[in-house]
Amino acid sequence: MSSEYEPKVLMFTCNWCSYAAADLAGTSRMKTPHNIRIVRVMCSGRVDPQFIMEAFAQGADGVIVSGCHPGDCHYMEGNYKALRRMLLLRKLLEQLGIEPERLRLEWISASEARKFVEITTDTVEKLRKLGPLKPRLDYVRKIMEEVVK
Amino acid sequence: MRDKDVRIGVYICHCGTNIAGIVDVEEVARYASSIPGVVVARHYTFMCSETGQNMIKDDIKNLKLNGVVVAACSPALHEVTFKNAVKEAGLNPYLFEMVNIREHCSWTHTDRRLATEKAKDLVRMAIAKVKELEPLEEVKAEVVNSVLVVGSGVAGLSAALTLARAGLTVYIIDKRPVLGGFVTRLVNIAPIGIRGREFVKPMIDELVEMPNVKVLTNAEVISVEGGVGNFKVRIRQRPTYISDLCTLCGYCEKACPIEVPNEYEGKLTMRKAIYLPFKEAYPPKYVIDENACTKCGKCIDACPVKAIDLSVKERYIDLNVGAIIIAVGHEPYEPDKGEFGYGLTRRVITSLQLERLLDEEGPTGGRFIIDGKVPKTIVFISCVGSLIGNKTTNACSRRCCSTITYDTLKILSKNPDSHIYILYRDIRTYGFEEELYWKALENGVVFVKFEEPPKVEVMGDKIMVYVREATINKNIVIPADLVVLFVGMTPSNAGEIVRIFKLSRTADGFIREAHLKLRPAETPTEGIFLAGAAAGPKGVMESVIHGAAAASKALALLLNKKYILREPLVAKVDEELCSGCLICVGMCPFNAISVKYVGERRVATVNPLLCMGCGTCAAACPSGAMEHNGFKDKQILAQVRAFAGVVV
Amino acid sequence: MSPKVRVALYWLASCGGCEESQVDAISDKIDIISNLEIVFWPVAMDFKKEDVEKLPDESIDVAVINGGVRLKEHVEMVKLLRRKSKIVIAYGSCASWGGIPGLANLYDINEVLSRVYSEVPTLQEKGVMPRPKSVTNEGMEIELTEVLPMLLPLDAVIDVDYYIPGCPPTPETFLKALETLLSGNLPPRKSVIGASTRALCEECPLNKTKPDKVLIKEIRRIYNTKIDPSKCLLVQGIPCLGPVTRGGCNAKCPRVGSPCIGCYGPLDKHIDYGAKAISFIASILDLNDENEIKKALDNGIPDPAGLVHKFTLPASRLKVNLKRGEHK
Repeated sequence: MSSEYEPKVLMFTCNWCSYAAADLAGTSRMKTPHNIRIVRVMCSGRVDPQFIMEAFAQGADGVIVSGCHPGDCHYMEGNYKALRRMLLLRKLLEQLGIEPERLRLEWISASEARKFVEITTDTVEKLRKLGPLKPRLDYVRKIMEEVVK
Repeated sequence: MRDKDVRIGVYICHCGTNIAGIVDVEEVARYASSIPGVVVARHYTFMCSETGQNMIKDDIKNLKLNGVVVAACSPALHEVTFKNAVKEAGLNPYLFEMVNIREHCSWTHTDRRLATEKAKDLVRMAIAKVKELEPLEEVKAEVVNSVLVVGSGVAGLSAALTLARAGLTVYIIDKRPVLGGFVTRLVNIAPIGIRGREFVKPMIDELVEMPNVKVLTNAEVISVEGGVGNFKVRIRQRPTYISDLCTLCGYCEKACPIEVPNEYEGKLTMRKAIYLPFKEAYPPKYVIDENACTKCGKCIDACPVKAIDLSVKERYIDLNVGAIIIAVGHEPYEPDKGEFGYGLTRRVITSLQLERLLDEEGPTGGRFIIDGKVPKTIVFISCVGSLIGNKTTNACSRRCCSTITYDTLKILSKNPDSHIYILYRDIRTYGFEEELYWKALENGVVFVKFEEPPKVEVMGDKIMVYVREATINKNIVIPADLVVLFVGMTPSNAGEIVRIFKLSRTADGFIREAHLKLRPAETPTEGIFLAGAAAGPKGVMESVIHGAAAASKALALLLNKKYILREPLVAKVDEELCSGCLICVGMCPFNAISVKYVGERRVATVNPLLCMGCGTCAAACPSGAMEHNGFKDKQILAQVRAFAGVVV
Repeated sequence: MSPKVRVALYWLASCGGCEESQVDAISDKIDIISNLEIVFWPVAMDFKKEDVEKLPDESIDVAVINGGVRLKEHVEMVKLLRRKSKIVIAYGSCASWGGIPGLANLYDINEVLSRVYSEVPTLQEKGVMPRPKSVTNEGMEIELTEVLPMLLPLDAVIDVDYYIPGCPPTPETFLKALETLLSGNLPPRKSVIGASTRALCEECPLNKTKPDKVLIKEIRRIYNTKIDPSKCLLVQGIPCLGPVTRGGCNAKCPRVGSPCIGCYGPLDKHIDYGAKAISFIASILDLNDENEIKKALDNGIPDPAGLVHKFTLPASRLKVNLKRGEHK
């Protein structure tokens, strides 16, 4: 892979645990990879698989969905719903040529700034190894453009 | 919104140098102003200052803004500040979005270029979302002007008193048969040296005399429905069996054939199945230990005033309250058998048993003796169950260090020849309690610092304590006559409380507050407040303060109010699109979704007072009919699309 | 008498079911025919490409095209029809979103061809691949159109004015769409016509049998389950796509105890039909343990794409198996 490739990662965090963990990482001046862009939702259970499809279609190299630990959901069960959806979505993604590792579901509590740093760092490293998704999208785009022409 | 109608203002905060030191704020503002729909983009030293806020307000008025983006710190800190500013300027506050470029950007990155690029991306994503935002109106909810306080320890008492003095109806319940909580078991509240039950007595006396206070003992909450301003709480009260006729004569106790260890005396002595927990306990009557009682009926015969009825059944009480204060306290850590020698000999005791041995009203009449002998060499091991031991919370229990030093002084005053060692990882006698530490040092108490937890071995009469002193880095062996384990605070039934009240827990297992520093007396659930050690270890003074703080929050919510306004960030059904498939109904953990009919058509409907705004139903809704206000599909999708650089 | 409506009907990669539904519909309402003048319908009548080329631009009132775009010839023909027509309608699931042939997008085109022409058992000579140019026994040189690397829905190639969904659209749907078109009161361009704006559950008689909370503990399929046709199939663990699929077919399949397989396709608010289907099915799977969930999903949905994108893959956000490009 080209050494210049910088993975683009979209991260959905719940408001209560994982967003707060990212806050704490900042407050503790921990260093996180600059590749992450966070979209805050109230609960990981809000994350519609359609959003993730859209993210990949828009060129995200990886997506992280992060919520409270099982049993600790602010809304009791939202994270379990996220878990079920992501497990099935990952199977579909694999059939569509997107490595399941590109979609991560993690539980990061508000106090786990260290875990936030580890997960995000690890995600970026893994994506670097997997390489960019863009050439695959470009290939499809090229076919479509040629057909229309 | 269409681009041509959009008039967005973007405000980039320097936060002094906190943001501007890493992020090129000028560049971000310049970039924002190039995005279609943005009519003004400014940057300023402190956006949260009055000048900063006025900048936004003036622009809203003068430039007729219909959307505002503030890129500054975490929304956890200033979202409310800016929302209010937007509102004061006459714009709907839900047309505002906050971007976190401090915690999530400048504080966590070092490369100026990359941090600036990230800030630009985040601002672009927020602008895209704001373009899709819609004005929202707060949801009006009627309120009941009463409060339920769960738990009657110092925190609960402090909260209940504050509320009752202000005139609200207060229900205070405790799962134990008497009021007062954990503190009643302490003989010395350091540094004032007053007995715990004497400390809470005036609080209880005042409280129970007030006409607007109802006390329920032996009572637990079993379910909670509804929401802020109007909770429906179901309480189960286990039978007390003994009526208010009880005169405390004590004949029943003499008649009772059952004996069990007395937990109030640290299980150092025995008590009967019918007993008085402690002197001057409230309610002023004997209680029956249900688990121990065989219902033999001897007490009934013994009672001269016929106050005992063993046929009483548990009862259920439904309350309607506007707010709830959780003050369920903590449980002291109970070491496992063999943990630091505990349970292997009567001469390894916990700090709570020590309390009883120091009490003039205790089993030894205040003489500091164990097994009939005065212990000469005494070793204290601190932080058991908090930082060291089989199960740890990793949370400092805050009150132990001052108590240890206070207790050593008390022992020395009784037995001046004692050799006392305090084995500690850290000594945290903060504030004026530091004086106790110095006094202990002056009086010859030896402080031994460890890094590896000490080992305790019982050898006949002696208890050998092995420890590696961390400052001199040498192994030390202390042959002790008595070892006192200072046990930490562990969460009291927090799992069950969290489940019933739909709250969450911290990593150490205590109930989580809404914000550690800014909202320490609130839970994330509106109308449910938190007081005392339930939220993490606290000393008595801290619990009193915390209880009063939770009460003031409840007062601010309810006092002189007929209704309150709730955040409208709830789910809402587009009835035109709903097929009545009912998928959403099964998603809602709060039973906020039900079914109604529009003509012949069955559609889902959301009760905005019950909806907590998680959005799980919206993600599940197969038709896209269920939408989550403030987090609608189109709003999140706009962010996702803008992430890739496409502004929609 | 008002002039007749000039109609062109054409098929691309399709099975002929759409034509059957059109014929069925018109047989029931034979008077409609008298309002139509068919200018092009190669399936039923002898028309050639030149016949269309000779027509002036925009002289056809409505072109009704079914099937997905699979061949270079299709591209040529639909561009031609677009130029000659005022309104173009994508008829049926294949034209609208690719349909079942669109599932071929999960594979590289070479894999597809090799599967079809050399791996599948046949009585004829094996392994003969389609060749763009060949010479007949008589020495005549003939050209065969090329197959495209992926199947495309009609609107990926030309502008489509309206969509009539279904595999095939029921005669009722077609008639309702015709009614809308002939009413003169045209809905906004790009809309779906002839079908419902809401999901199929609304018109399903089994919807009433649902309990308040629809939650299941396992996912079952009709080939390994005995189902009760009088109860909602979803509640019985069958992944019926009724909740996520556009209504308009009058719930033909669930009505007879067969789950909806999604042929009426996405609703207006979907941006990825398959992902939305994934979301609701996974949501009602009431398990919390990761391994139990995985087991239930592996047993119940071994082929998610085949379940949730049976008709919609080429119109989904990703359109193809993205890794297929790497075969080249």
